[in-house]
Amino acid sequence: MSIIQQHTAATLGDAWRTVNIDILNEDSSVNFDTSTLHPPQPEISEADVRNLSTQVRQLLRGGDAEGALRGCLETPVYNGVDAAKEAHLQTIIEVLQSIKASDMTPLLKGIYASPGGSELLDVLMKYIYKGMAVGAPATTGLKSPVKMTPQSTGFSQIGSRPGASNEPASAAMSVLLSWHEKLVEVAGLGCIGRTMTDWRRV
Amino acid sequence: MAAPEVHHLFHNPIADHSFSADHATLAVARDSSVELYSKAGNAFKLADVLKGHDKTVTSVDIAPNSGRIVSCSQDRNALVWEPSPTGYKPTLVLLRISRAATFVRWSPSETKFAVGSGDRVIAVCYFEEENDWWVSKHLKKPIRSTITSVAWHPNSVLLAAGSTDAHARVLSAFVKGVDERPEPGVWGERLPFNTICGEYLNNSAGWVHSVAFSPSGNALAFAAHDSSVTVVYPSGPEQPPKAVLSIPTQLLPFKSLLWKAEDEIIAAGYDCEAFRFQGGEGGWQLVGTVESKGHAGAGEQREESALNMFRQMDLKGKVKDNTQLKTIHQNTISTIRPYEVSGGKVTKFSSSGVDGRVVIWDA
Repeated sequence: MSIIQQHTAATLGDAWRTVNIDILNEDSSVNFDTSTLHPPQPEISEADVRNLSTQVRQLLRGGDAEGALRGCLETPVYNGVDAAKEAHLQTIIEVLQSIKASDMTPLLKGIYASPGGSELLDVLMKYIYKGMAVGAPATTGLKSPVKMTPQSTGFSQIGSRPGASNEPASAAMSVLLSWHEKLVEVAGLGCIGRTMTDWRRV
Repeated sequence: MAAPEVHHLFHNPIADHSFSADHATLAVARDSSVELYSKAGNAFKLADVLKGHDKTVTSVDIAPNSGRIVSCSQDRNALVWEPSPTGYKPTLVLLRISRAATFVRWSPSETKFAVGSGDRVIAVCYFEEENDWWVSKHLKKPIRSTITSVAWHPNSVLLAAGSTDAHARVLSAFVKGVDERPEPGVWGERLPFNTICGEYLNNSAGWVHSVAFSPSGNALAFAAHDSSVTVVYPSGPEQPPKAVLSIPTQLLPFKSLLWKAEDEIIAAGYDCEAFRFQGGEGGWQLVGTVESKGHAGAGEQREESALNMFRQMDLKGKVKDNTQLKTIHQNTISTIRPYEVSGGKVTKFSSSGVDGRVVIWDA
């Protein structure tokens, strides 16, 4: 039932395999905007992020670490300018760094057990991966964000690698790593899967 | 609870499997052929190999009443295998698709079947008497990507389809002259071909791996690559659904799911075992695994001799050989299907997977 009955130079070569036939098809996914497949997300401005960040810092000073973390995770910046996304990441990393290692698991369990908690932990996982990808978040502050591939691959060759020469960066990285470990214990591998699958990028 | 019946057929992946209505014949898709196994005592023995496709067979389905087998393959073809005294006779179906066929299922009426494809269409195929030929009509409109699975509504008119564009859809596959006009229901009143009765996606919108209608046909469940199962309760034609309940899990994604009853769903996939969900319109939750691991699993707790222990330590640097999974399936489960139904409830179901096993479970 094979269509190719006779071999010619063209069929024996493999140049035809690299022809992108999707371009020729107007219904193909490369020819339409895939974002139209999903409902739009509300846009969050940089000012909103700053307000939230102030509130979160107040909660942190008041000792309400869970409230602070929840506050950050309930409004992920899916749709916003890069500066807003970056600022929100900074806020979350600050919160994560201020929580003691022994408090991590009970706090995550508390969030997971609450209604909608699984979704919040998925958001946390997205920010952990984003933090890891940025490389040196603690020192660069509000430096223009490093251009990265849109997929959250979890690791990026671009940007400074965490190392001994970059003390605060590696400290932030080790915080993120231990949060990652605790988060997987609570939310399971499904959480990583959702982070990779999700079309809403932070 | 009886122990599950395990049939280890071969060491190749099983893309899909299907039992005949009397459970005497088992069809499995293996590489580019469909293998038929017949029951001999407690085991299944290879009885026939249906060769006709020249690329990987992706799906196979046996019609319970007529005994016809339909198979589809990456070679873009579907074949209907008609039982005859001299063996199975293949008939080619005119699918008119330019990408692999991915999934095929007979409608409950057995007069039609639906083939999902990578060509962003579902071919709804039916037999045209005057031409003595299986022809197809295409469901095309809102589909933006490969169809991964299809499922028929009990009325044989509505079709659910899961796609890699993250949507689960309910469409009408009404073919004039083949189907009787369906009763109006929650999905719609007038249902001409290609009516879109619903399009659903969940929050994180992963690929949809599997779709299924509830036994009554009044609810739809789908499993997506974000490790979740989503259940949709429609409220009526052209209205937003009453409830869309998404159950995110801590597990790996599910490849296949089925409804045991209106209030229970069984799903299995990359975790190599089946899980049970219970609930209703108010909410659903994961209640646990189907497999009970309390039993002394397959002799894994054997008493080790001292000699053996030291030999293992010497050869492998460890005492226990832990390359075996604790589950019966040793790799991803790709398909689960109802095996025995009584009183509207699935009492047994069968699973097949990448490890070449077909297992029959008490649901």
